[in-house]
Amino acid sequence: MNPPRHVFRWDLDKTYLRTEFDSVGDLFKNAFETAADKQAYPGATALLRALRAGEGHRVCIISGSPSQMRTVLAAKLALDGVEFDEFVLKNNLKNIMRGRFRALRAQVPYKLPALLESRAGSPPAPAETLFGDDAEADAIIYCLYADLVAGKVAMNDLARILEAARAYPDEVTRTLAAAERAPRGDVVGRVIIHLDRRSPTAGFRRFGPRLVPVYNYFQAALVLYADGLLDARQVLFIAFEMLDSRQYQLPILANSLQDLIRRNRFAQPSALRLADELREVARTAPSTLARADLPPFEDIARAFTDRVRELKGAPPLPWPDTIAPLDYVALVDEEHDNRRKRGRRGAAPP
Amino acid sequence: MRAIIAPRMQRIVVDAMGGDHAPEEIVKGAAEASIALADAEIILVGDAATLGAILPRLRHDGARVRVHHASQYVEMDEKPAEAIAAKPDASIVVAAELVAAGEGDALVSAGNTGASVLACARRWKLIAGVRRAALASVYPTELRRGDKNDPFSLILDVGATIDASAEDLVTFAIMGSAYAGLVSKNRRPRVALLSNGTEAGKGPAAVVAAHQMLLEATELNFIGNVEGLDIPRGVADVIVCNGFVGNVVLKMLEGISETVVRLARYAHKERLAWRLGLMALSSALSQLKAVTDWQQYGGAPLLGFEHVFIKAHGRSSAHAVTNAIKVAAKAQAGDLCGHIARGVAELSARRPPAARPPVLEGSA
Repeated sequence: MNPPRHVFRWDLDKTYLRTEFDSVGDLFKNAFETAADKQAYPGATALLRALRAGEGHRVCIISGSPSQMRTVLAAKLALDGVEFDEFVLKNNLKNIMRGRFRALRAQVPYKLPALLESRAGSPPAPAETLFGDDAEADAIIYCLYADLVAGKVAMNDLARILEAARAYPDEVTRTLAAAERAPRGDVVGRVIIHLDRRSPTAGFRRFGPRLVPVYNYFQAALVLYADGLLDARQVLFIAFEMLDSRQYQLPILANSLQDLIRRNRFAQPSALRLADELREVARTAPSTLARADLPPFEDIARAFTDRVRELKGAPPLPWPDTIAPLDYVALVDEEHDNRRKRGRRGAAPP
Repeated sequence: MRAIIAPRMQRIVVDAMGGDHAPEEIVKGAAEASIALADAEIILVGDAATLGAILPRLRHDGARVRVHHASQYVEMDEKPAEAIAAKPDASIVVAAELVAAGEGDALVSAGNTGASVLACARRWKLIAGVRRAALASVYPTELRRGDKNDPFSLILDVGATIDASAEDLVTFAIMGSAYAGLVSKNRRPRVALLSNGTEAGKGPAAVVAAHQMLLEATELNFIGNVEGLDIPRGVADVIVCNGFVGNVVLKMLEGISETVVRLARYAHKERLAWRLGLMALSSALSQLKAVTDWQQYGGAPLLGFEHVFIKAHGRSSAHAVTNAIKVAAKAQAGDLCGHIARGVAELSARRPPAARPPVLEGSA
C-alpha cells in the first residue's frame, strides 16, 4: 500500500452530523433514527468529499458513537456520497457488559488510543488534519495526539494524563503501547474545531496557531484553502452546499469571512487571492457560477469585499504564533470538571 | 431552480458604543441575540478593534455578527446637536446611515437619546402622512394585556415632539396601537388620550380636537380620555400625549419608583420590625420586581420613521440589550412601519380633503 500524502481524521457527532445526545431522550432519538433522518451540517459533506478527492488523501472517521450504530451511520455516509478509508466506533455494549460505566462517556481513554492505533496501523502520512467539535474534549485529545506523535510528550507524562482522565488500567496499557508503535513526526498541521456549542473562541487560544475554531464549514474551507488543501472552486462548492441547505445566506457567509479575519485566522492576502481565483473561474468557466438563484458573481465578490472593507484596517486580534507546552493533566482535569458542571446544569453550554 | 435566499433575515444594526456600560454590555447582549435569533444578522457599529477583542470572549454565532467600524462615538452627556455635528463618524451616525442605505433593517441604541433621535431624524424619512416622530415608552401597570399577558402599557410621545397638534396626536395613537398590537400581541389595544379629565371637552384644544378625530376618523379601540391616576392602573394599553407632557409623566413615574425603593431602604435600616416586615415580603417584592423589570422589555421605540428604531435604556445590561434587539427583530418581521403606513393612509382617506394636514417628509 502506498503511503497516503495526507490523512484527514474526522469525528462524527456534532462535527459532521447534527446530533443531540445531551439528554436520555436525545440518546433514544439518536439510536432509533434512520440514515435518512440524520442530518449533516451544511457544507460538511461537500468538504469531506473534496478532501477525499485529493490524490493520496485518506479519510479516517473516529467517533464515540456505539459500534451498534455502524450500519446506520455507514448508510448515512453512503447516502451523502462520502467515502472513507477507516471507520472506528466505540464498543459501548462491551463497556456496559463489563460494568465499566465510566468508560461510556470517557473521551480521552477511548479516542486517544483509537487515533494512535489508526496511525500505527497504516502507512504513515507526512501530514494530518483533524476535525472535531467543542462539545467534549476534542481540542485536548487532538493536540495531545499531535504532541505525542511529534515526540513532545514523554511516556511517563502520558501515563499521568491517562490517570487524570480516569482511564481503566487496561486502557492505559493499550494507549501507552499504541503511542510506542505510532510513527513519529510533527505531522498534524491543522486542528479544526466546529463550534457546535458556540463556545467562546478565546478559550482555544492556549492551543496555539495549529487549532482553528470555526462556526461553520465555509470557515473551515477558507482555512483549508489558505493551507493549500482546497482550491477556489472547491471552496465555492462548499459555499453552494451551504446556500442550498437554506440555513445560510450570502451575507452569513460573508460575515464568516469577516469573523475569521477579525480573529486573525485568515489573512487578507489569502482573501484577495481567493477572490482573484474565483474571478478567474467566473471568466474561464462561467457555467460553474451560473445559477439562476444567485446574484451575479461581481455582486457576490462585492459582498465579501465590503465585509473586509468595513473593518477599515482595524488590526485583527493577535492569535499566538507559538505555543507553550500544554499542561495536559490540568486540561483534562478542567474538562472533567466542566463535564460534571454541564451534567448538573442539564447540558447547558459553558 | 428554487431561490436560495428564501427566509428574509432581520438585519439589526446596533450602536455598540452607546450606553453607560458600552461597549462590553452591548456586545454581550448582541452576542446572546446572535444565538437566540435564528434569522437575524447583528451588525455592530463601533471601534472594530475593541469589538473584535470583546467578541471572542463571548458565546456567540460569529457568522451572524458583523462588525462595521466607526472611529467616534457620542458620550452620554454630550449635547446632541453639537456632538452629531462634530463627530460625523460617530457610531450612532454611522448606524443610522447604514439603515438609511439599506444595509440594515432596524436600529438599536442604548446611547445618548437626543443624539440617537437626531441621527435618525437627519437620515431617515418619515412615513408618508406622519408629520412628527414619537418616542414611546413602556411602564408597568396593575392590569395585564394581550396574548402575552403583558404587564406593560405604552405611553407616547415621551420627548421627541414637544408640542403636538391634534393630527400629530391621532397619528401617535395609530403608531402606538400598531406597536402594541405587534409587540404585545394585543389584537385590539385600548387607546386613550391623556388629559385633565375624562370628559371629551376637557384639556387643551389639540387634545379636544384629537378626541373628536379619534372617534370619527379611525377604527382604533379608542376609549376616550384618561387622567394621570389611570396610568399605573393600566386602564389603557396605549396612552397618547405630546412629548412635553409625556416626558414629565415618565420622569415622575421613575421618580416615584426610586423614592419607594429609597423609603424601603430607610425602613430596612431604621427599625427591626420594619426590617422583618420587608423580609417577610421579600419574595413577593422580588416577583413584583421581575414582573415589572424594564430590562425584560428591551427598550422604547421611536415611531414614525420608515425604519424601526429601539432606544434601549442608557443603563442597559446585556440582558436588556438582547431584549431590545429581539423587539427590533420582531417589529421588523411584523412590518411595524408598514402597519403604521397603512393606518395613516386609512386615516387620510377617511378625512375630507380640506381637513387633511400637509404631508411633510424627511424631517422629524
